[in-house]
Amino acid sequence: MFLEVNHVTKAYGQGDSRVEVLRDVELGIEKGEICVLLGPSGSGKSTLLNIIGGIDHADQGYISINGEKTVQMNEKRLTEYRRRHLGYVFQFYNLIPNLTVKENIEVGAYLGEPRRGRVYASAEDRRALDVEEIMHTLGLYEHRHKIPSQLSGGQQQRTAIGRALVKNPDILLCDEPTGALDYATSKEILKLIEEVNQKYGNTVVMVTHNDAIKDMADRVIKLRDGRVRSNRVNTQKIQAGDLEW
Amino acid sequence: MVGRVRNPLSRRIPRLLRSEFGKYLAVFLFLVGTIGFISGFLVADVSMTKAYQESFEKYNIEDGNFELSKEAGAGLLAALELSELSVYENNYVEEASVNQSTLRIYANRKKVDLVCLMSGALPQRADEIAVDRMYARNNGIAVGETIPVGERQMVVTGLVALSDYSALFSQNTDMMFDAIKFGVAVTTKEGFEAFGDTHLHYSYSWKYNQKPENTAQAKRMGDRFLESLVTHVYLQGFLGRLLGSGMEIRNFVPEYTNQAIHFTGDDMSSDKVMMEVLLYVMIAILAFVFAITISNTISMEARTIGTLRASGYRRGELLKHYLTLPLLVTLIGALVGNILGYTLLKEVCVGLYYNSYSLTNYVTIWNAEAFWKTTLIPVAIMALINFAVLIHRLQLSPLQFLRSDLSKKRHRRAVRLPNIPFFSRFRIRVLLQNRYTYLMVFIGVLFANLLLMFSLVFPAMLGIYEEEILGNMIAGEQYILKEQAETSNPQAEKYGIYSLETLENNYGTKDGVTVYGIQRDSAYVKIDTSREGVYVSEGLLEKYNLRVGDTVTLKENYTDKTYDFQIAGSYHYPAALAVFMDFDRFRTVFDLEKEAFSGYFSNEKLTDLKESDILSVIDAEDLTKLSRQLEVSMGEMMKLVTVFAVLMFVLLIYLLAKIILEKNASSISMAKILGFSDGEIGALYLHSTTGVVMVSILASLPLTYLVLQWIFREMILRMMAGWFTFTVKPELFVQIALIGALSYSVIGWLLYRRIRRIPMEEALKNIE
Repeated sequence: MFLEVNHVTKAYGQGDSRVEVLRDVELGIEKGEICVLLGPSGSGKSTLLNIIGGIDHADQGYISINGEKTVQMNEKRLTEYRRRHLGYVFQFYNLIPNLTVKENIEVGAYLGEPRRGRVYASAEDRRALDVEEIMHTLGLYEHRHKIPSQLSGGQQQRTAIGRALVKNPDILLCDEPTGALDYATSKEILKLIEEVNQKYGNTVVMVTHNDAIKDMADRVIKLRDGRVRSNRVNTQKIQAGDLEW
Repeated sequence: MVGRVRNPLSRRIPRLLRSEFGKYLAVFLFLVGTIGFISGFLVADVSMTKAYQESFEKYNIEDGNFELSKEAGAGLLAALELSELSVYENNYVEEASVNQSTLRIYANRKKVDLVCLMSGALPQRADEIAVDRMYARNNGIAVGETIPVGERQMVVTGLVALSDYSALFSQNTDMMFDAIKFGVAVTTKEGFEAFGDTHLHYSYSWKYNQKPENTAQAKRMGDRFLESLVTHVYLQGFLGRLLGSGMEIRNFVPEYTNQAIHFTGDDMSSDKVMMEVLLYVMIAILAFVFAITISNTISMEARTIGTLRASGYRRGELLKHYLTLPLLVTLIGALVGNILGYTLLKEVCVGLYYNSYSLTNYVTIWNAEAFWKTTLIPVAIMALINFAVLIHRLQLSPLQFLRSDLSKKRHRRAVRLPNIPFFSRFRIRVLLQNRYTYLMVFIGVLFANLLLMFSLVFPAMLGIYEEEILGNMIAGEQYILKEQAETSNPQAEKYGIYSLETLENNYGTKDGVTVYGIQRDSAYVKIDTSREGVYVSEGLLEKYNLRVGDTVTLKENYTDKTYDFQIAGSYHYPAALAVFMDFDRFRTVFDLEKEAFSGYFSNEKLTDLKESDILSVIDAEDLTKLSRQLEVSMGEMMKLVTVFAVLMFVLLIYLLAKIILEKNASSISMAKILGFSDGEIGALYLHSTTGVVMVSILASLPLTYLVLQWIFREMILRMMAGWFTFTVKPELFVQIALIGALSYSVIGWLLYRRIRRIPMEEALKNIE
């Protein structure tokens, strides 16, 4: 498996206020898959996503990506790991308010650049995708000079996806990417995620509580009370554009 | 090889600057002004200090001088020169001149203490004179003018600086020089001889054949020479007494103790330190303002920072990003300030020195020290403080940023408040939320008030000091006689006077102390002469930490002989460090004849005394020279400091209060949506700041008082002879509080305007 979650346990608080958020979670995701993590509020899906993303730590167990265990990494190595392998999309876009669309995407592109002091033999070593191309793909080209406050929610989320995608991450982690959007825009965003997955072959892990989204996934994992209730490969996958809810 | 893409975050910098242009411009201008002035000051200080130091060589400044009561014959001079030095005649006369001032006139010097011609020409004829530049300026004397000098009229041919009078001290024991009522001048040899010997002082300067390497060696050599001088003069005096005319040493001033030579140098170096400290404190305060601003930005951009960190941005990249603008503003401010300092403001600062001291010509030295002290160090302070704050703020995990959970404490709980009205509770919450910003408000107010009190208290204190002196003069006229002479004026009262000095204090300085012998039931000095012991002026008690009942040890000026006096009481005499004792005991202690006396206290002029019998008359003019001189030297400077302090107060408080509003912009906007009026919102958010500012102003007053009191004490102990009691009239506290309140009213108006401008959409933008 490209991404493995091995017996991960996580709890918050102490004593009476201790809450077990994840209980011995074990799962695997293949490279290039779209995996949807489903579950009601408090089921532990966002916590799991954060642990996969290396921004939260498991109390027990570990995450392994392409054979690399994040549990063994210190803070500095985790940052490098995120920089090289992960892209994040959140429910509330979190764009930089005084940068334009293009510049916000470039913030991600910068992370795909070679590190200072390292000599790269050729342009192929550059991981970052072309910003212009991404803007075209995401339908943002005509808005490229606008700042976030001039954009609709959907456009802002597309920019956030562009920022995450442009560095060409191995894994794209999306936490409720449509949570703040209307039906039409949500579908538009999901289509986009599907499109980039097909075009660039990134593994996508998407957290949602919208049950309908599971139909576009290659793999559907359901969580409840911190445990994996089901983990199945979706053999009847449909196009994001055909989703209904 | 592939070229690197610049971090796109750097494109935010000009936009951040544009979005808060007013704030950055104000800080920038403040930095330019402060750094410009201080850089100009340092350039002027270093240039003039160099010129001052070089003047010792260039103008062959003496290694000391002494004065005898009679002319030293060739034999005595030859005997003195046998050792390790050369002695030069450097006689002078003192004559009354314009505005009741005294001019000390020398024949133009050829070998030691050479004269620097500042403008015009040196005198060529007997009726020509060249006067000190400072004295001329203070008394409105111009080249070409004819001025009265004693009974003569002399034409001023030039303005000069005498290398041994960079500070115009008429007596080395004076607390302060006096460039208004005292001046020095040179004339031709013939012109000098024409004054006769009525007011002639037999003064001699000496130069060592081998220059002393340091002060310690100069002291040893000076002590050795004094011993030789005392021996020779004693012998001469003894022989003279046998022949009916005695000789005594009137004055002995080695160069290293000569205030007229050293005061300027010491003052310039202490000014430099003071200016540097002022700059660094200012920069540190501004750095904290920036740090709070950045901290606030981090809070507002927490989720974005979390996303960037989660995406792989390193802490260092974000740190660099947030550090760039304050450092850029400081660096550019420092560079522009330096350019201004080196050009325009240098002249202003040179003017400040030339207004106080009779310095010789100088050449501007473009020195690296001023540059790095006013550029690199401020930038380093700014970087260090902001770096520390940023490191602390950015230590949080990406997840904490994403959740906007910016407290390191795991279990944050709201402080429980008593059941008080809603508005009061709300204000307390604002206070608690912004406690660090308010702490900076307090520090800012404290520092501004320190500067304000310094600038206001100084002139006020000079006034009080003058009043005190004039109100507590022993007598309207205090005559000191050369020879004992009788007066028929019935209200004149004889007294004895003897000069001693203190032992060295912890700072290596000592003070001249005047010991008075007072008649029983004196009409002028009200002390109980029947009591054992002596009465000591309050200044001496304060400066040397003495108390009634202690024993004060004083020594002879030129010998090791010491005197122990038990202190029976204190005497309010602010004009000098003095000891008062029973006249008979005075005569016994100093081994004087039974009827010996030194002069008269009198409230009327003693017209029947011959002028040739009078050594000097101490009157109100003499006693108030300190306040007069300081007023001239520092008056303008203090006005500048007042303006600077008020500007700093307004800028700091405005910036800090604005941060509080920005932090709460969303809540203010929401309050507007809910229907609160601008006035009510002002009451919620501004009253807490108003309260903190007012409490800060009031609380900082006693602190400021204590700090200034300490600074004054240290300054006087290190730098000045005599004592100057730190006094602040209660009205001054009220004045400072009012200036603070008025300045804040301007800030309050600006802040209220800002509240009114916060749109309701602000709250709608942040729906998460």
